[in-house]
Amino acid sequence: MARRGAATLPVPMPALLEPIAAGQTRFHLQGLAPDARGVACGRETLVAFPSLDRLVAFLGAYSEECSLDELIPTMTIERARREGGGHALLMRCAGTDSYALDRLGRLSLAVHGQLFTGSGTVFVRYRDRMAPFGYDLAGSTTTAASPEEVLVVDFDVAARYRALDRLDPVELIQRLSLRQIPLPLAGIASDPQLCGLHEIALVLVAPGLSDRVLSYLWSNQVPLAGVRVALAGERRASLLVRLRQPSGQVLDVLHGIPGVELLAPVSQRAAVEIGYRHPIHLASASSCLPGDEMYLFRGRVGRVERLDGAPQFIDGAHLVRSETAARVHEPGDARGTAVQALKVELRLRPTASIREPRGALIRWEQAGLLRRLIYLIPPMALAAARLAVLPQGMLVLTGSSLGGAAGLAAGVGAAAIIPLGMRIVEVAPGVLVPDGFELWPHVRPQLVRELLGLEAADHALFLGTEQSPLRLRPDHLAPLDAAMMSRLELAVIEASPSETPTSGPATLQNERLGRFALWGFGEAGRGGRAVAVEEPSETPELPPGRES
Amino acid sequence: MTRDLGEFCARFVAPLLGGGTVHVAAPVRPADFRAMTGGLATLRSGEVAALRLQRAQQLVAEPDLQEPGAEELALWVALYNLLVLDHPDRSRVWARQATWRRVESAARYWLLFSRPEGFSAALANHAAVGAFLELARRDQILSGAEGELRFVGQEIPRRRLRWTVPGALSVREETVTWWSTAHVAEVSALQQDVLWASPVTCLLRPLMAPPGYSPLEGASFLRHRAFARAVCHAWASSRHWIEIGGTVLGSLLFSLTGRPLSGPTPSSGATGAASAGRPMLALPAPVDTAGPEDVAALVAALIHVHFLRVLELGARLGVAPTSRDRPVQMFLALPLLLPALGEVLGSPLGGAAEGLGFDAQVERRWIEYIDHLGELIPRSVVENLLATLVPRVVKAETEP
Repeated sequence: MARRGAATLPVPMPALLEPIAAGQTRFHLQGLAPDARGVACGRETLVAFPSLDRLVAFLGAYSEECSLDELIPTMTIERARREGGGHALLMRCAGTDSYALDRLGRLSLAVHGQLFTGSGTVFVRYRDRMAPFGYDLAGSTTTAASPEEVLVVDFDVAARYRALDRLDPVELIQRLSLRQIPLPLAGIASDPQLCGLHEIALVLVAPGLSDRVLSYLWSNQVPLAGVRVALAGERRASLLVRLRQPSGQVLDVLHGIPGVELLAPVSQRAAVEIGYRHPIHLASASSCLPGDEMYLFRGRVGRVERLDGAPQFIDGAHLVRSETAARVHEPGDARGTAVQALKVELRLRPTASIREPRGALIRWEQAGLLRRLIYLIPPMALAAARLAVLPQGMLVLTGSSLGGAAGLAAGVGAAAIIPLGMRIVEVAPGVLVPDGFELWPHVRPQLVRELLGLEAADHALFLGTEQSPLRLRPDHLAPLDAAMMSRLELAVIEASPSETPTSGPATLQNERLGRFALWGFGEAGRGGRAVAVEEPSETPELPPGRES
Repeated sequence: MTRDLGEFCARFVAPLLGGGTVHVAAPVRPADFRAMTGGLATLRSGEVAALRLQRAQQLVAEPDLQEPGAEELALWVALYNLLVLDHPDRSRVWARQATWRRVESAARYWLLFSRPEGFSAALANHAAVGAFLELARRDQILSGAEGELRFVGQEIPRRRLRWTVPGALSVREETVTWWSTAHVAEVSALQQDVLWASPVTCLLRPLMAPPGYSPLEGASFLRHRAFARAVCHAWASSRHWIEIGGTVLGSLLFSLTGRPLSGPTPSSGATGAASAGRPMLALPAPVDTAGPEDVAALVAALIHVHFLRVLELGARLGVAPTSRDRPVQMFLALPLLLPALGEVLGSPLGGAAEGLGFDAQVERRWIEYIDHLGELIPRSVVENLLATLVPRVVKAETEP
């Protein structure tokens, strides 16, 4: 039994790593050093991926989160064979601090990669929950790897990798095939973002279609600029058109044309055909696209077009050929010749139409009657009425022609109440004519004011067909109540003292007390009385109980 | 001080009553007082009479004031000499201490002399004493490296500011109420005599009343309906209305039974002679002239204070029931005595059979308030009042 039990017990393996204690500064693994948080970080970082697609997924996720430009300058990718069998892709980059390594560890874990830290040829497992400050070699007896090999040490296993070949990360990223993404079934116009083309759209047109596409865009008044680009392997230059804020309908039409490809700019020097997506977020990986070339990632044909430098677009007006320009000409200036003959005169004519009276022109003989009628006008109407003194009489105005609060508060108006003089009506804002007349021909009311040259608060008064209109400025119009009331004299009276209000509590002021302030006080008391008050003979008796 | 009454009124009485600067210098001598009494007739139509009337009108709309007499002049002179006794330059005066005691005795005599006989005189005294309680004093404080120097109610002498480095001294002003500041011992003792001279003031401000004060002294004034209304509103408008009610009722029961109650009593916070370390020179007067009508008027006024607070939705009893002060509990229990007192005092609701509109709301609120009080106040307190206070009102009224 004892032998059988001994055979089933697992054989304890000696641990190859040991957790690092807080504050530990000396390590068995050379190149390991604590960072600012005390986490042990090596000079280099090694991420082992089981396959290439995991590596690509890692790069894609990393580029979405932060910039690949920080990683690529120190990054090397090696295809390696494991000593015990199997392959792996080893990505090495510079180890900075534990914050960056935490991010690398989190992303690599998501794609089934493993993160190690170290330097040169020996790497150990990065920190985890069991060892928050990282791991160090359990002893210095671990066999050092040869310069061509990489020794990766985990808890209980040490794996040796031998590099087979090296991959250029930039080249790898450029060679990645695009991934297809679905487009809206109802067309590009149904997408609010127009599949990323709402600001700028690049249209790559096959050589045989360029003229027709240009004429279509030009006829639809789409702002465009274009350039002829020579693509690799093609004899004739294709047309690359840049559209600013294109409409969805135009994009739908272009997308449906064979030989026309719509590309969405993803960075300054890269554009990807719509309906496809690059595995790497290219906007954060400008170093993946070296030089000044522009890259067009074409998904349908599966090619990456490199253009020499940024394309110099030419305005669309220079690309199209218009044949109608010769037949269009300016009409010329004929205003000085024919308008004089068309001028007609604006004049008064009798009319039977009924208008609300806005004023009354009262002759001077009736001034006494007006003075008495003032007492009958309601207060609101009286306050809203205005009076203009004219040689022909007194003009009482009210109503909307005055504008502002006076016009709104008028109500019926004093002019409608006063049964005197000639009634005045308003044919246009501020244009007053006698009742029973109108201006002929009928033109727009605002035009009437413009023809008369009236300013904002001016009024024009037509008094008859033979008389020229009068211009009434605001200073000609005085409030009716103020103009008719005589000046009142106020008698000044003095308020009686009983009506003067008290002004609050009194304030004490101690004046300077002289040396002899008590002079003469109690002289009568020298006779022997303790209290020196000269009590008046009519001193009342003290109240009961106060005698003491 | 001058012997001229006009100048005295212009420099002291008129500013005191109407607001202004009250000038205090040498004291008024008895001989000056006797000389001034001869000119009292000139005050009948002067500014002082108008200001005095106006002061009284702040309390009741149509005060029946008599012409200023010797008693009122004695009160003014006493108030003036009280300020002289508290003068900061007192040490400069070449006088013996006995002479200052004569000034104090004269002021006490005049205050005693000016005690009012009727409501008209009491109202006139309140005009002066009420203004005297509000008297403000503007002090100037000179601050420097050596400390602060306070000039009490005085300007800083120019010589103090001469030959000083700019910025070495700073001057600031403080305005204080003269009555509530610290005074010399004589003045503290005389302050109680001032309050004794004005029972209307004591009735309006029972928390300031002197030791031994009984509200029955001014209870007879409550028969004037306008004045009773003013007193009730003065009590009810105070934030400490419960404490005021407890004080009034406590002192009333003390006057009636002769047994002190624990809790707030008049002038518990006032500056008294005892606090000044001097024997009490003005003893409280026993009130033996007060009848059951006076007691009933006081009780009715206290109950009306409850009703006013209910009307203003200000009857918050959150704190009051937690107080174990016997007088406060008794004051809160007063509305519960209405079934026993209603026959004599009537009802705050006026006995309306069926209220409508606002009256109905008030009636509902009042009934809810009384129910609330019934739950809060211990039954022993009500029974105590039924045994001590109610017979003083009801039986005395019903007796022939």
